[in-house]
Amino acid sequence: MMKEGVIITKINIKRQGERKHFQIKLPNDTKYIIGIEYGGRLVSKGDIKATDALPHAIAKSEVALVETPYVKAEYVEVKEKARTFFKRNQLVGELKLQSSEESNWFYSADVFLNDSNIGLGDFSQSGFPVNDFTHGNKRTEEIVKVDAESTIIQGWYLDAIGKTQKTDINYEVTIYVWINVEE
Amino acid sequence: MLKATKKRFDIKITQANSTVSDTFELDKNIVKVHGVLVTSDKDDLLYYRGTQKIEINKEEFFPENYESKLLMSGINVAPKQRYYDLGGVAPGNGRVQITYKDLDDGRTAFVPYRVSLYLDCEMEDEL
Repeated sequence: MMKEGVIITKINIKRQGERKHFQIKLPNDTKYIIGIEYGGRLVSKGDIKATDALPHAIAKSEVALVETPYVKAEYVEVKEKARTFFKRNQLVGELKLQSSEESNWFYSADVFLNDSNIGLGDFSQSGFPVNDFTHGNKRTEEIVKVDAESTIIQGWYLDAIGKTQKTDINYEVTIYVWINVEE
Repeated sequence: MLKATKKRFDIKITQANSTVSDTFELDKNIVKVHGVLVTSDKDDLLYYRGTQKIEINKEEFFPENYESKLLMSGINVAPKQRYYDLGGVAPGNGRVQITYKDLDDGRTAFVPYRVSLYLDCEMEDEL
Protein backbone atom coordinates (compact mmCIF):
# COMPACT_ATOMS: atom_id res chain seq x y z
CA MET A 1 0.00 0.00 0.00
CA MET A 2 1.24 3.48 -0.86
CA LYS A 3 1.23 6.18 1.77
CA GLU A 4 1.90 9.90 1.47
CA GLY A 5 4.42 11.79 3.53
CA VAL A 6 6.23 15.09 3.50
CA ILE A 7 9.89 15.94 4.03
CA ILE A 8 10.62 19.45 5.27
CA THR A 9 13.92 21.18 4.53
CA LYS A 10 14.89 24.67 5.62
CA ILE A 11 17.46 26.86 3.91
CA ASN A 12 18.81 29.89 5.70
CA ILE A 13 19.82 32.89 3.60
CA LYS A 14 21.86 35.65 5.18
CA ARG A 15 23.69 37.56 2.46
CA GLN A 16 22.52 39.46 -0.59
CA GLY A 17 22.76 37.44 -3.76
CA GLU A 18 23.60 34.30 -1.79
CA ARG A 19 23.60 31.08 -3.79
CA LYS A 20 23.04 27.86 -1.93
CA HIS A 21 23.47 24.24 -2.97
CA PHE A 22 21.79 21.71 -0.74
CA GLN A 23 20.62 18.11 -0.64
CA ILE A 24 17.33 16.67 0.52
CA LYS A 25 17.53 13.14 1.85
CA LEU A 26 14.43 11.05 1.36
CA PRO A 27 13.54 7.90 3.32
CA ASN A 28 14.78 4.63 1.82
CA ASP A 29 11.29 3.30 1.12
CA THR A 30 10.34 6.32 -1.01
CA LYS A 31 8.88 5.39 -4.38
CA TYR A 32 7.96 8.70 -5.97
CA ILE A 33 8.18 12.40 -5.39
CA ILE A 34 4.63 13.57 -5.92
CA GLY A 35 4.56 17.24 -5.02
CA ILE A 36 6.53 20.33 -4.05
CA GLU A 37 5.53 23.29 -1.92
CA TYR A 38 7.49 26.15 -0.44
CA GLY A 39 7.09 28.71 2.31
CA GLY A 40 9.31 31.03 4.24
CA ARG A 41 9.80 33.42 7.08
CA LEU A 42 11.79 36.55 7.79
CA VAL A 43 14.29 35.83 10.55
CA SER A 44 15.86 39.16 11.45
CA LYS A 45 13.46 41.56 13.04
CA GLY A 46 15.90 44.42 13.13
CA ASP A 47 16.20 44.60 9.38
CA ILE A 48 14.13 47.73 8.82
CA LYS A 49 14.81 47.89 5.09
CA ALA A 50 13.56 44.40 4.56
CA THR A 51 10.43 44.94 6.61
CA ASP A 52 9.67 48.20 4.84
CA ALA A 53 10.18 46.58 1.49
CA LEU A 54 7.39 44.08 2.10
CA PRO A 55 4.50 44.99 -0.14
CA HIS A 56 1.20 45.39 1.61
CA ALA A 57 -1.98 44.71 -0.28
CA ILE A 58 -4.06 47.08 1.77
CA ALA A 59 -6.93 48.75 -0.04
CA LYS A 60 -5.99 52.33 -0.74
CA SER A 61 -8.96 54.17 0.58
CA GLU A 62 -9.12 56.93 3.11
CA VAL A 63 -11.94 56.88 5.59
CA ALA A 64 -12.59 60.27 7.18
CA LEU A 65 -15.09 61.13 9.87
CA VAL A 66 -16.66 64.51 9.13
CA GLU A 67 -19.04 66.42 11.34
CA THR A 68 -20.99 69.31 9.84
CA PRO A 69 -21.93 72.28 12.04
CA TYR A 70 -25.63 71.98 11.11
CA VAL A 71 -26.25 68.27 11.42
CA LYS A 72 -25.10 66.47 14.51
CA ALA A 73 -25.04 63.06 12.89
CA GLU A 74 -21.69 61.70 11.74
CA TYR A 75 -21.18 60.23 8.34
CA VAL A 76 -18.38 58.46 6.63
CA GLU A 77 -16.81 59.89 3.55
CA VAL A 78 -14.81 57.51 1.43
CA LYS A 79 -12.23 58.98 -0.92
CA GLU A 80 -10.87 56.59 -3.43
CA LYS A 81 -7.42 57.00 -4.90
CA ALA A 82 -6.62 55.81 -8.36
CA ARG A 83 -5.54 52.19 -8.22
CA THR A 84 -5.44 51.04 -11.74
CA PHE A 85 -1.81 50.01 -11.53
CA PHE A 86 -0.76 46.50 -11.00
CA LYS A 87 2.02 46.14 -8.49
CA ARG A 88 4.94 43.92 -9.19
CA ASN A 89 5.20 40.96 -6.82
CA GLN A 90 8.40 41.01 -4.77
CA LEU A 91 10.70 38.25 -5.96
CA VAL A 92 12.48 36.60 -3.05
CA GLY A 93 14.61 34.11 -4.94
CA GLU A 94 14.87 31.25 -7.38
CA LEU A 95 14.51 27.63 -6.37
CA LYS A 96 15.48 24.62 -8.45
CA LEU A 97 15.44 20.93 -7.66
CA GLN A 98 17.03 18.02 -9.45
CA SER A 99 16.57 14.32 -8.93
CA SER A 100 19.55 11.98 -9.11
CA GLU A 101 17.48 9.72 -11.37
CA GLU A 102 16.99 12.03 -14.31
CA SER A 103 18.88 14.83 -16.01
CA ASN A 104 17.82 18.46 -15.76
CA TRP A 105 15.74 20.19 -13.11
CA PHE A 106 12.40 18.58 -12.35
CA TYR A 107 11.18 21.61 -10.42
CA SER A 108 11.94 25.28 -10.86
CA ALA A 109 10.12 28.16 -9.21
CA ASP A 110 10.37 31.85 -8.56
CA VAL A 111 9.75 32.34 -4.86
CA PHE A 112 7.50 35.35 -4.30
CA LEU A 113 6.75 37.11 -1.06
CA ASN A 114 3.01 37.40 -1.55
CA ASP A 115 0.40 38.44 -4.06
CA SER A 116 0.71 42.23 -4.19
CA ASN A 117 -2.43 42.58 -6.28
CA ILE A 118 -4.74 40.50 -4.13
CA GLY A 119 -6.87 43.52 -3.29
CA LEU A 120 -7.21 44.78 -6.83
CA GLY A 121 -10.70 43.46 -7.52
CA ASP A 122 -12.15 44.57 -4.21
CA PHE A 123 -14.64 47.39 -4.75
CA SER A 124 -16.52 46.88 -1.52
CA GLN A 125 -14.74 49.66 0.42
CA SER A 126 -15.92 47.82 3.49
CA GLY A 127 -12.93 48.65 5.65
CA PHE A 128 -11.94 44.99 5.69
CA PRO A 129 -8.44 45.14 4.18
CA VAL A 130 -7.59 42.43 1.72
CA ASN A 131 -4.62 40.36 2.84
CA ASP A 132 -3.19 36.96 2.08
CA PHE A 133 -4.14 35.68 5.50
CA THR A 134 -7.78 36.72 5.23
CA HIS A 135 -8.56 36.42 1.53
CA GLY A 136 -5.88 34.01 0.35
CA ASN A 137 -6.62 30.91 -1.64
CA LYS A 138 -6.22 27.43 -0.25
CA ARG A 139 -2.67 26.31 -0.89
CA THR A 140 -1.91 23.01 -2.49
CA GLU A 141 1.33 21.44 -3.56
CA GLU A 142 2.53 21.57 -7.15
CA ILE A 143 2.17 18.10 -8.53
CA VAL A 144 5.25 16.40 -9.96
CA LYS A 145 5.95 12.74 -10.57
CA VAL A 146 9.57 11.73 -10.24
CA ASP A 147 11.15 8.39 -9.35
CA ALA A 148 12.94 8.51 -6.04
CA GLU A 149 14.98 5.30 -6.05
CA SER A 150 18.23 7.09 -5.22
CA THR A 151 16.59 9.00 -2.32
CA ILE A 152 18.61 12.17 -2.83
CA ILE A 153 17.41 15.45 -4.31
CA GLN A 154 19.90 18.12 -5.30
CA GLY A 155 18.70 21.66 -4.69
CA TRP A 156 19.81 25.12 -5.69
CA TYR A 157 18.61 28.47 -4.39
CA LEU A 158 19.60 31.99 -5.41
CA ASP A 159 18.66 35.06 -3.39
CA ALA A 160 16.99 37.93 -5.24
CA ILE A 161 15.35 40.11 -2.58
CA GLY A 162 18.65 40.94 -0.87
CA LYS A 163 20.17 41.83 -4.19
CA THR A 164 17.24 44.06 -5.14
CA GLN A 165 17.23 45.85 -1.80
CA LYS A 166 21.05 45.98 -1.74
CA THR A 167 21.13 44.76 1.84
CA ASP A 168 21.68 41.53 3.74
CA ILE A 169 18.33 40.06 4.66
CA ASN A 170 18.20 37.06 6.94
CA TYR A 171 15.34 34.76 5.99
CA GLU A 172 14.41 31.12 5.79
CA VAL A 173 12.96 29.25 2.85
CA THR A 174 11.12 26.05 3.68
CA ILE A 175 10.78 23.36 1.02
CA TYR A 176 8.17 20.65 1.34
CA VAL A 177 8.73 17.52 -0.70
CA TRP A 178 5.64 15.29 -0.81
CA ILE A 179 6.50 11.65 -1.36
CA ASN A 180 4.84 8.31 -1.87
CA VAL A 181 6.13 5.66 0.48
CA GLU A 182 5.52 1.95 0.11
CA GLU A 183 4.30 0.39 3.34
CA MET B 1 -26.72 6.40 9.02
CA LEU B 2 -23.60 8.48 8.47
CA LYS B 3 -23.63 12.24 8.71
CA ALA B 4 -21.06 14.98 8.33
CA THR B 5 -19.91 16.95 11.34
CA LYS B 6 -17.25 19.54 12.10
CA LYS B 7 -15.14 19.55 15.25
CA ARG B 8 -13.19 22.45 16.67
CA PHE B 9 -10.36 22.36 19.18
CA ASP B 10 -8.61 25.44 20.54
CA ILE B 11 -5.20 26.14 21.99
CA LYS B 12 -3.94 29.41 23.47
CA ILE B 13 -0.56 30.88 22.63
CA THR B 14 0.42 33.20 25.45
CA GLN B 15 4.17 33.52 24.96
CA ALA B 16 6.21 34.44 21.94
CA ASN B 17 8.52 31.77 20.51
CA SER B 18 6.89 29.03 22.56
CA THR B 19 5.62 25.54 21.76
CA VAL B 20 2.17 24.46 22.89
CA SER B 21 1.02 20.87 22.65
CA ASP B 22 -2.42 19.49 23.39
CA THR B 23 -4.31 16.28 22.82
CA PHE B 24 -8.02 16.15 22.09
CA GLU B 25 -10.41 13.26 21.88
CA LEU B 26 -12.94 12.74 19.14
CA ASP B 27 -16.40 11.34 19.79
CA LYS B 28 -16.57 7.56 19.75
CA ASN B 29 -19.09 7.51 16.92
CA ILE B 30 -16.79 9.35 14.49
CA VAL B 31 -15.76 6.91 11.77
CA LYS B 32 -13.71 9.08 9.41
CA VAL B 33 -11.77 12.32 9.37
CA HIS B 34 -11.94 13.90 5.93
CA GLY B 35 -10.25 17.24 6.31
CA VAL B 36 -8.30 19.60 8.46
CA LEU B 37 -8.18 23.40 8.69
CA VAL B 38 -6.47 25.86 11.03
CA THR B 39 -7.63 29.37 11.86
CA SER B 40 -7.01 31.92 14.55
CA ASP B 41 -8.51 35.01 16.15
CA LYS B 42 -5.39 36.86 14.92
CA ASP B 43 -4.87 35.24 11.57
CA ASP B 44 -1.86 37.37 10.61
CA LEU B 45 0.07 35.92 13.54
CA LEU B 46 -0.94 32.40 12.61
CA TYR B 47 -0.05 33.03 8.97
CA TYR B 48 3.40 34.50 9.52
CA ARG B 49 4.54 32.86 12.76
CA GLY B 50 2.89 29.47 13.04
CA THR B 51 4.09 25.94 12.37
CA GLN B 52 2.53 22.77 13.68
CA LYS B 53 2.60 19.01 13.85
CA ILE B 54 -0.69 17.14 13.69
CA GLU B 55 -1.18 13.52 14.66
CA ILE B 56 -4.34 11.46 14.54
CA ASN B 57 -4.32 8.10 16.30
CA LYS B 58 -0.55 8.54 16.82
CA GLU B 59 -0.03 8.71 13.07
CA GLU B 60 1.74 11.85 11.91
CA PHE B 61 -0.11 13.65 9.11
CA PHE B 62 1.76 16.93 9.18
CA PRO B 63 5.30 16.84 10.56
CA GLU B 64 6.99 19.34 12.82
CA ASN B 65 7.69 22.70 11.15
CA TYR B 66 4.80 22.36 8.68
CA GLU B 67 3.73 25.96 8.24
CA SER B 68 0.24 26.94 9.35
CA LYS B 69 -0.28 29.11 6.28
CA LEU B 70 -0.40 25.95 4.19
CA LEU B 71 -3.45 24.76 6.12
CA MET B 72 -5.31 28.07 6.12
CA SER B 73 -8.05 29.12 3.71
CA GLY B 74 -9.19 32.70 3.21
CA ILE B 75 -12.76 33.87 2.80
CA ASN B 76 -12.29 33.82 -0.97
CA VAL B 77 -12.37 30.02 -0.86
CA ALA B 78 -15.80 28.43 -1.11
CA PRO B 79 -16.91 27.10 2.29
CA LYS B 80 -17.13 23.51 1.06
CA GLN B 81 -13.55 23.60 -0.25
CA ARG B 82 -11.75 25.12 2.72
CA TYR B 83 -10.52 21.95 4.39
CA TYR B 84 -7.25 20.23 3.51
CA ASP B 85 -8.31 16.84 2.18
CA LEU B 86 -6.97 13.89 4.17
CA GLY B 87 -8.92 11.37 2.15
CA GLY B 88 -11.02 9.75 4.90
CA VAL B 89 -8.75 8.71 7.73
CA ALA B 90 -9.98 6.18 10.30
CA PRO B 91 -9.68 7.94 13.69
CA GLY B 92 -8.54 4.79 15.56
CA ASN B 93 -8.37 5.69 19.24
CA GLY B 94 -9.79 9.12 18.38
CA ARG B 95 -6.90 11.07 19.85
CA VAL B 96 -5.81 14.14 17.92
CA GLN B 97 -2.58 15.80 18.94
CA ILE B 98 -1.44 19.23 17.83
CA THR B 99 2.00 20.60 18.64
CA TYR B 100 2.05 24.24 17.69
CA LYS B 101 5.20 26.33 17.51
CA ASP B 102 5.22 30.11 17.45
CA LEU B 103 8.30 31.67 15.83
CA ASP B 104 9.13 35.33 15.49
CA ASP B 105 8.85 36.52 11.89
CA GLY B 106 9.85 40.18 11.92
CA ARG B 107 6.66 41.34 10.23
CA THR B 108 4.42 40.85 13.26
CA ALA B 109 4.39 41.96 16.88
CA PHE B 110 3.36 39.24 19.30
CA VAL B 111 0.14 39.39 21.27
CA PRO B 112 -1.54 36.36 22.85
CA TYR B 113 -3.72 34.57 20.35
CA ARG B 114 -5.88 31.52 19.84
CA VAL B 115 -5.28 28.76 17.33
CA SER B 116 -8.28 26.68 16.30
CA LEU B 117 -8.00 23.29 14.69
CA TYR B 118 -11.07 22.27 12.70
CA LEU B 119 -11.71 18.71 11.62
CA ASP B 120 -14.21 17.70 8.98
CA CYS B 121 -15.56 14.36 10.23
CA GLU B 122 -18.11 11.74 9.38
CA MET B 123 -20.04 10.24 12.26
CA GLU B 124 -22.53 7.48 12.80
CA ASP B 125 -25.93 8.78 13.68
CA GLU B 126 -26.77 7.79 17.23
CA LEU B 127 -30.37 6.98 16.34
